[in-house]
Amino acid sequence: MARFLPLTVTDVTPTIRDAVVVTLRPEDPAEFDFVAGQYLTFRRQFDGEELRRSYSICAGKDDGVLQVGIKRVEGGVFSTWANAALKPGDVLEAMPPMGSFHAPLTRQARRHYLAFAGGSGITPVLSILKTTLTREADARFTLVYANRASSTIMFREELEDLKNQHMGRLSVIHILEEGAEEIDLFTGRVDAAKCAALFAHWIDPASVDMAFICGPEPMMLAIAGALREHGLSDAQIKFELFASARPPRAKPLADTQSQAPKGAGVAAKVTLDGESRSFVIPPNTSLLEAALANKIDAPFACKAGVCSTCRAKVLAGEVEMRANHALEDYEVERGYVLTCQCYPLSDSVTFDYDQ
Amino acid sequence: MEDMNITDYLAKGGVITSPQHMPPRFRAEVLRIMASFVDSELAGAAGFADLINQGPGVAERIAAARIVMEKTEHAARVLRLMSEFGTDTQRYASGHSWSDRLARDAAVGTERAHGDMRLSVFNYPLAGWGDAVVMNLLMGQAVGLHLADYARLSYQPLAEAMREISLIEARHTSLARDGVAKLVAEGQKPALQASVDYWWPRVAVSFGSDSSGRAAALMAMGLRHTANSEMRKRWQTQARETLGALGLAAPAD
Repeated sequence: MARFLPLTVTDVTPTIRDAVVVTLRPEDPAEFDFVAGQYLTFRRQFDGEELRRSYSICAGKDDGVLQVGIKRVEGGVFSTWANAALKPGDVLEAMPPMGSFHAPLTRQARRHYLAFAGGSGITPVLSILKTTLTREADARFTLVYANRASSTIMFREELEDLKNQHMGRLSVIHILEEGAEEIDLFTGRVDAAKCAALFAHWIDPASVDMAFICGPEPMMLAIAGALREHGLSDAQIKFELFASARPPRAKPLADTQSQAPKGAGVAAKVTLDGESRSFVIPPNTSLLEAALANKIDAPFACKAGVCSTCRAKVLAGEVEMRANHALEDYEVERGYVLTCQCYPLSDSVTFDYDQ
Repeated sequence: MEDMNITDYLAKGGVITSPQHMPPRFRAEVLRIMASFVDSELAGAAGFADLINQGPGVAERIAAARIVMEKTEHAARVLRLMSEFGTDTQRYASGHSWSDRLARDAAVGTERAHGDMRLSVFNYPLAGWGDAVVMNLLMGQAVGLHLADYARLSYQPLAEAMREISLIEARHTSLARDGVAKLVAEGQKPALQASVDYWWPRVAVSFGSDSSGRAAALMAMGLRHTANSEMRKRWQTQARETLGALGLAAPAD
């Protein structure tokens, strides 16, 4: 189960107009011993509703501090609050660092790392970059950094300082959508054509030992495709998806009435993969068993309330969850249930696997 | 930055990197894959653990004990990934009897009987040391193909775990091959051939069928890349060759 631990905010520094770097002092530092590239998941109540958001650690391993970068997202409750109201002395709650956006360092290696960052996707890349340059004395690092305009470049000065500090080992290529640059190569989006041009003129992909990509979906696809075309294996490409799109809410497509027998039982309606089906749940039958008995391809694994594969949301009706070892209180409050452990209490129940 | 629908992103070969913001169906299928893997490793390890002391020599017992340990470690590795989805891993691993088996003569392809997600081949009991080594060889080659496919799946943390696990599983298979070769040299060919005949159809059905709509859905989500029938065909070719080199014969399919 998720454990949230307290951290005190010791500093909040704006980097660009709509992003802050938040410095944190954990009560239990050992729990927050991170690997460069990992993220923290915070939770906070907003108007009685718990929100969870993940932000990448931007500090290097040898900076001696724990810092995350928080960029304000249009309409984002947590990021707007962090940018407007968060101040030193506040206490936040976060889970220990998570994520696998990292590669093992080897002190004696003379490796060439290539990273692509889009917008605030720079945060974990900055941590990796600083840590690598400090800990691998002979490593080279090339950063391709995509932003909308020069005013939205996070950590611009810090990157300049790092270039001076690690003379000749760090090179940064800025690519701006609204480019004031005169060279076409450095203007526009990082897509397949841009990658091809970069590989033809600026970066020798054959020299790259490990690549990191952090940004939104289209950028990830374009760059990963280009890297593979140039001979990098999947094991040499590390991703961190900074999702711009939310998961789609599947719209109910059809409402097919199954030939459910009349009689004792609970009228159930379930939505799965965009399709709604109605059937009757016999007494002493879980929502999952009833769905499976009606040839609905509902997801499940342990059937013991432990793994959470069968999670669904109850939209109408009342149910009793006999065991729950996987969902957290805030999920239960929102109506999520483990369907393998749920038995109806009301005459009808509506549940949805697509939410 | 432009927006992209996550379904399109997956269909185009994109990868997801954390349990947050996953489409619900994707989340469920990733959990199913992980549960099936963990259950198969735990059940496989539990079954083989009973055989350690039947190893003919100390070297074989060390190899068997190592295999049991490493398969259990692989389960633990994937359980850690499941914990990021909320799974209670302590309860998951301890609240179940992983050494449960069907009768040796239960029909091929019998449905899972013990309320877990292990592959059906792990429902059959091992009949002695030689039988266990043959099973490990045949199933090891099947697992190698499964893992090669999983190493490309679109949930990156799991794909990475599978890539590393596949290297160690490949070593288990190669130990099994050496073990069979040794037993052949000791003149145990008839018993080994009987084991091959027993396990061949049971490993073959573990690949599943192509008919389910799930197979297509998994491919669209980037969670599978090779059809079950194609994988089974590759395994049959590979295993037939391996057995031939050992002086054993694969049954007709």
